[in-house]
Amino acid sequence: MRTFSLALPILALAACTAFAETLKVNGSTTVNLPVAEAAEILRAEQKLDIQVDTQGGSSGGISMLGDGLVQVGMASKPVSDDDRARYPTVKFNEIHIGEDAVALIVSRDVWDGGVHALTRQQIKDIYESRITNWKDVGGKPQRIAFFNKEPGRGTWEVFAHWTYGSPKDAPQVSFPEVGGNEETRNKVAGTRGALSQLSSSWADGKNVFALGIKLDDGTVIEPTSENISTKKYPLSRPLFLLTNGEPRGVAKPLIEFVLSERGQELIKKHGYLRLKDLK
Amino acid sequence: MTRALSWFFSLIALVGIAGVVGLFAWQSVPVWQQEGWGYLTGVKWFFRQHQFGALPMIYGSVAVAAVALLLAAPIGFGAAIFTAEYLPRRLRLALKILIELLAGVPSVVYGLLGILLLRDWVYDAFARFDPLSGDTLLTAGALLAVMVLPTIVTLSDDALRGVSSAQRQTARSLGLTRAETIFSVSLPQAKAGLGAALLLAFGRALGETIAVFLVVGRQDNHLPASLFSLRPLLESGQTLTSKLGGSETNIAYGEPKHWAAMAGLGLILLVMTGVVTLLGTGFGRRSDA
Amino acid sequence: MRKLLDFVLGAVVALCALVAVGILLGLVYVIAQRGGPAITWNFLTEQIRLVGASGGIFWNLIGTMILLASAFVICVPLAVGLALVERAWLRHPASRRALCTVLYTMNGVPSIVLGIFGFIVFVQGCGWGKSWLAGGLVLALMMLPTVTVSLIERLKAIPSKYLEAAAALGLNRAQIVWSVQIPQAWGGLLTGSLLALARAAGETAPIMFTATIFAGATLPKGIRESPVLSLPYHIFILAQDSFDPAVGGKLWGAALVLLALVFLLNLLALPSRLKIHEEANV
Repeated sequence: MRTFSLALPILALAACTAFAETLKVNGSTTVNLPVAEAAEILRAEQKLDIQVDTQGGSSGGISMLGDGLVQVGMASKPVSDDDRARYPTVKFNEIHIGEDAVALIVSRDVWDGGVHALTRQQIKDIYESRITNWKDVGGKPQRIAFFNKEPGRGTWEVFAHWTYGSPKDAPQVSFPEVGGNEETRNKVAGTRGALSQLSSSWADGKNVFALGIKLDDGTVIEPTSENISTKKYPLSRPLFLLTNGEPRGVAKPLIEFVLSERGQELIKKHGYLRLKDLK
Repeated sequence: MTRALSWFFSLIALVGIAGVVGLFAWQSVPVWQQEGWGYLTGVKWFFRQHQFGALPMIYGSVAVAAVALLLAAPIGFGAAIFTAEYLPRRLRLALKILIELLAGVPSVVYGLLGILLLRDWVYDAFARFDPLSGDTLLTAGALLAVMVLPTIVTLSDDALRGVSSAQRQTARSLGLTRAETIFSVSLPQAKAGLGAALLLAFGRALGETIAVFLVVGRQDNHLPASLFSLRPLLESGQTLTSKLGGSETNIAYGEPKHWAAMAGLGLILLVMTGVVTLLGTGFGRRSDA
Repeated sequence: MRKLLDFVLGAVVALCALVAVGILLGLVYVIAQRGGPAITWNFLTEQIRLVGASGGIFWNLIGTMILLASAFVICVPLAVGLALVERAWLRHPASRRALCTVLYTMNGVPSIVLGIFGFIVFVQGCGWGKSWLAGGLVLALMMLPTVTVSLIERLKAIPSKYLEAAAALGLNRAQIVWSVQIPQAWGGLLTGSLLALARAAGETAPIMFTATIFAGATLPKGIRESPVLSLPYHIFILAQDSFDPAVGGKLWGAALVLLALVFLLNLLALPSRLKIHEEANV
């Protein structure tokens, strides 16, 4: 990642000639927040033409980059071997721009009912519908309303990766679905006994609350910035901007901006961890 | 020259129309090859395991449309009877225009209202049945009921107006009250048209995507043991349209089996709405004859 | 007893009508009340900022206009062609009925199906990526039955004595079309188009896979890779984030603007429809 900053002057020349092109960006709703704001700033300051969309989440970002429909993809999960195999001619370049974590969030009534953490086994049991009531995990009697993230969401893949080792090993289940981060928070806040997966920075502690992970020895790790940056909290995930090969043309200014001081401030503003916060 | 041009454009249009059906049929071939009729009757949809069964979604679509009709038909018919039989010409026209105007409200706006008003209302009103959330088949059905109400009112009004006023006048002059006239003259004569109204409203309800997508819950594989019981309606479900309008369409493209399954859903939807629409317009025609 | 039944029925159906109109008017009231405060000159002339939390919907309106205009331009020749073929060149009543049946059935096709069709053929098959033209084509297909049927009905209403007189004067079929049928049918074309456009303006499903994105697009440059913003898609995406108060008011404002657009298109078609209604009753 450092090497392309040396190639800057050379690529800058190329960038100048490509100024009329429109930059298309698509992918994860998690990464979208800072990137969309970065795009707005660049549009205003450098008159760049940047289009940002969030169709299909992280998977949508990867597949549209692979199909050549966009120049930059946004993903909150790494590009998998399956993805690379599906697009053998595409050189997926993962540009790390920040870090985030996936939290299990609950509605207010569950939090107030005493449930502040869960073990991995309990989470598995809930996911596979062996536990269906909060009273079985230390809360008040209330039906567990689990909202599963849509297929293709980076958030879900991170969750499945940690809970089952790999998304492929996750059992097939049927729960009501939620799409992006906004919808998830909205639904969980408005439903009794609700539980879902969400980017930890979106858990505002007012409407929805992030549970900690209880380890086998009883210690509870909460998704705080400290725990995420030291990787103590296990469900952390990198935030990526993806390009096909090295960033070229109009993609360059955006990538550079996001990696710059100002761009990283945007990352922090939206609750994620900057690269320099990681240890 | 004019003739050639007309035929040229017509053929383009017709090719486009046929293309829609043909395309979905062609693209869905792999899933038919894999599952055969099991695709229609299968109850499990697990796309990662390449297991594709469309029945829960067919049930979802039909259940939601049926709820919509059950809720909207009585009110719709009643309102149509009122406009067709009781109102003087000017008022009837005014009311009809008003209702038709309101029929144009976009589905995304209905979806918005559904999220913000209907969802919580259903969640609280049925709280003692302990629903998982406010997004249920019932919520979607109720929202659709409001959406198809103008359709039912307009078409039923047309059907009732199609009954000749001479017959009504004869009945009244024989001493029948207005109510009796309605029941013995208007309604029986307008039967076909009223049936057509219901069928077309059903077709519209089957095909609605956005409003249903937002409030149905999108839970796969929800197929109750008993198709006619009411309790399962308070659970989240999935319809053909909510699945097609969701994220799987984006993911599936590029993966042949998965994409074929999605195209298959489109084909099923085309066939269902096509049949219902054909029946509906067929009925309507007969009443004109 | 009979009088009682009469009275009860009257009351019940009046109530039904009241409920029907009440629900629908109430809906409009809610939108107007919540969205009204958000409508400012800035709202209509600025672009989106901060993922919808501030700024306006200018480019969304422009995008919707572009989609509607292109749909109209594509649809008209197709509809006129079909209507003329049905009226002037198909002689068998069976083939005419067949054409009309095809049109009615087409009208019942769910818009999501058309949207995915457009996705397969234009976005992927033609390699356009998301494009305003793909959206225009799909919307045109959606509008086609309404406009064609309206045109056919209008053509049907031309008194046969005009056609007979023209034929008696020695005009061939093409000339009759241009001198008698088309001039008389303009009204039907306009009416049908306005009604169809009203529906197209509010549709999200046909354009969400083919033509529209959430932010960043202004005017399209060319056909490939040229999506536009649109009002319905904007509302759809934001509708899933209704807890954020910063977005709330603007969301309702956008809904109100869309509603106003649809109503306007419908109302514009009204005078012509009323005239036809009057003529039919005479």
